[in-house]
Amino acid sequence: MSWWKFWKAKPAQRDFVSEFLRANEEAIAGARALEQLRFTVLDTETSGLDPRKDSILSFGAVKVSGMKIQVSSAVEWYPESPNNGGKTAPIHGLVGIPNPIAAEDFAKQVLAYVGNSIIVGHHIGFDLEILGKQLGFFGLERLPNPVLDTLSLAIRLEHGPHADRSRIHLESYSLDSLCARYGIETEDRHTAAGDAFLTAQLLLKLLKKCRQKGILNLKDLLKNY
Amino acid sequence: MSNVIVRRVAEFLKRFPPFSFLSPAELEGVAQSVEIQYLEKGETLFRQGEAARPHFFILKEGTIHLVEDAAKGEEIREVCDEGDVFGVLALLGKRPYLLRSKIVENSLVYAVPVETFGKILEENSRVALFFAAGFAAGQVVVRQDLSQGQKARSAFKSASGDHSLLIFSDQSQVKVSEKVLTCSPETSIREAAQLMTEAQVSSIVVCGQGNFPLGIVTDKDLRSKVLASGVSTARAVSEVMTSPVVTAKKQDGFSNIYLSMIRHRLHHLVLTEDGSADSPVCGIISDHDIFLSMGNSPAVLIHGLMNTLDVGDMRIIRDSAEQMLRYYLENEIAMEFVASVMTEINDVIISQAIVIAQTQLRPDFPDMDEIRFCFLSMGSEGREEQLLRTDLDNALLYQDVPPGRQSEATEYFQKLGELVIEVLLACGFAPCPGKIMASNAEWNQPLSVWKGYFSEWILHPTPEALMKVSIFFDYRAVAGAKSLAEELTQHVYQEIAHKQIFLNFLAQNALKNPPPLGFFKDFVVEKSGENRDQFDIKSRAMLPLTDLARLLVLSHQVVGINNTFKRFEKLSELEPGNAELFSQAGTAYEILMRMRALEGLQHHSSGRYIHPKSLGKIQRQLLKNAFAPISELQEIVNIRFQLDYFRR
Repeated sequence: MSWWKFWKAKPAQRDFVSEFLRANEEAIAGARALEQLRFTVLDTETSGLDPRKDSILSFGAVKVSGMKIQVSSAVEWYPESPNNGGKTAPIHGLVGIPNPIAAEDFAKQVLAYVGNSIIVGHHIGFDLEILGKQLGFFGLERLPNPVLDTLSLAIRLEHGPHADRSRIHLESYSLDSLCARYGIETEDRHTAAGDAFLTAQLLLKLLKKCRQKGILNLKDLLKNY
Repeated sequence: MSNVIVRRVAEFLKRFPPFSFLSPAELEGVAQSVEIQYLEKGETLFRQGEAARPHFFILKEGTIHLVEDAAKGEEIREVCDEGDVFGVLALLGKRPYLLRSKIVENSLVYAVPVETFGKILEENSRVALFFAAGFAAGQVVVRQDLSQGQKARSAFKSASGDHSLLIFSDQSQVKVSEKVLTCSPETSIREAAQLMTEAQVSSIVVCGQGNFPLGIVTDKDLRSKVLASGVSTARAVSEVMTSPVVTAKKQDGFSNIYLSMIRHRLHHLVLTEDGSADSPVCGIISDHDIFLSMGNSPAVLIHGLMNTLDVGDMRIIRDSAEQMLRYYLENEIAMEFVASVMTEINDVIISQAIVIAQTQLRPDFPDMDEIRFCFLSMGSEGREEQLLRTDLDNALLYQDVPPGRQSEATEYFQKLGELVIEVLLACGFAPCPGKIMASNAEWNQPLSVWKGYFSEWILHPTPEALMKVSIFFDYRAVAGAKSLAEELTQHVYQEIAHKQIFLNFLAQNALKNPPPLGFFKDFVVEKSGENRDQFDIKSRAMLPLTDLARLLVLSHQVVGINNTFKRFEKLSELEPGNAELFSQAGTAYEILMRMRALEGLQHHSSGRYIHPKSLGKIQRQLLKNAFAPISELQEIVNIRFQLDYFRR
């Protein structure tokens, strides 16, 4: 073990992280039908676009189970952040959040909320990266949950599984464009919860499309080409 | 504080009843418990006969048909679009679904847990009323209790301002007599009485120097202080006048003036320049003036009409009657009362118009006064259902005259008819586009010709004749010799008795317009012309009901009931087995009348075409429910008159 690795030692795994990982030990059966799957649709608003420097300003999420959006599960959290009031704040209107949640409490809440569901988001990679950084402080290396990106799913459903991404106009797969195309009213853009709600509605519509294309279970849904 | 997602759901729900009746806290609770589901065209949300789910539904977007699967195939019972609440059987009694919900266009459905909403249903009376009135789609398939609907609408009516002062049509119009009859204190009582008689006023103001009021003498004073007390009329008025006088100034405003009259129990109030008794008299106001300015009392309007032969005044009075009508309609005054009052007003106008015409013609036709005639109102006015001044439908019927006098009679009654119509037009009534008016020679005839008309229609019920029947069979004698109209009625019933099959033709005609299902897309609205995308409430909803009522009343040989809802009332007496249906039909008709009149008042039109989009959800649902009895009645008529065989 070299010295710098020792210096950058992983933070100790907290109890709530261990608990979360235990709950995720058993993988969801690939043959589980879409109707039986539980999804957590999330979105974050951040202080910037650099996962190393920036942090989460707000976190919004809602669950989809039984192919239904469970409004009762909707959450909107504002974690404590060194970047609060930073440069993106005015755009998102996140100035002066009343009750910021301490970083550890935020991590606890997120993990308890996500549980062993499938994580869904639009262009989810970035959200996961920045969320991963924040969770990393408490000893979680990476989220073990299955992940579904509505952006990729939409491209796959519209262009087939072997679409050449380089030839696709990604602009038309932004959340705004997809909402317009799938008839989803966009009124709360640029709040984490608002975007999560839109993404959840998009997910409902895409899942219906999946069934028509013969994508009936988790294995089909997560298939990577 | 709830989060963005819950708020978004709440904002949608709150736009539609019954959610619009919830308190913010209730609404948040409901929004928080919603499940959102997306269904594609061709899918089914719940099936007929399926056990009730723990949710009821509200459609966020898309179109869903509630269909009944019957032996004949599926039948659409209800069409739901944005904001419609359906599948409520789960909420009300947890019975299995009576209908299948068929997704016709991709739909986003919000499911509300019964558990959450049941509690609100118990606590929030307006929400309870919403469901009791059957406003949710497909809630009660067969028939709605329409009286609950009316009650509910009245409860949901937006408080459109305080009408309490509306009894005064326009306060600035209160007439103040500026020419005040005055006399000096030395004037004798007799002279004063003579002055009052000449001026046709009920009071005289006794003035001193500078025209300052000293006292007042009224009709009542002359009676009680002079005649009853045996005071000589040669004495001075100052001995019997009421003094000092209560005065006010004109600029005090109506309410103050009226209040001081009420307070002092005055019949007359003297107005002076500065409001005190030490300033010149400049006007007088009597309680009679105030009475006449109370435009919204039927008694006053009718009284006013009976006392004028001035067409301009008649027009003004008829215009104020419309204000009164609006107030009545908005306040859900019983339709029977409203229709009776408006009919009475219209009838008085016609009677006065006849007097005007007769007076004008008398010099040229001195012998014609003795010929008996009868002015008949037809169509809606004949049925005592005309609320707005829509098309005039009327006719003139006069006694048969010896051949030698026929040409003079023709000329006289023609002129009489024309003059009457001119007065009615001047009073704001619209002419009949089909020229069914007393000014039309064809409909201005002696009794024998009229009998011939009806015999012809009954013997040869061509489509054109049946159309005439729908107008002429509802005639009502408004003025003149009503015995002539009765004789005609006797004739009509005899003819029908001889040709029973006529009723089958009439029945067939009554089924021509199937009831509309609901408002959706371009299903029911006019597809072309200037009323495109509007709903023709008259021909699609009211006409079928009037036709059915007329037919059934004729088949029972009932005479003298013209009004559609009174006909249904009579029918429920005659046929106890169908009593409930008839009374629903009558109520439906009242609702339609009210809705049409309000639409007409709002848009200064006949109210015949309604913009479905401009109706609130409640109004739309009430209208939908009003259609329910039509199809049931049509089914009864179809069987009773054996129309399935008849058509072959």
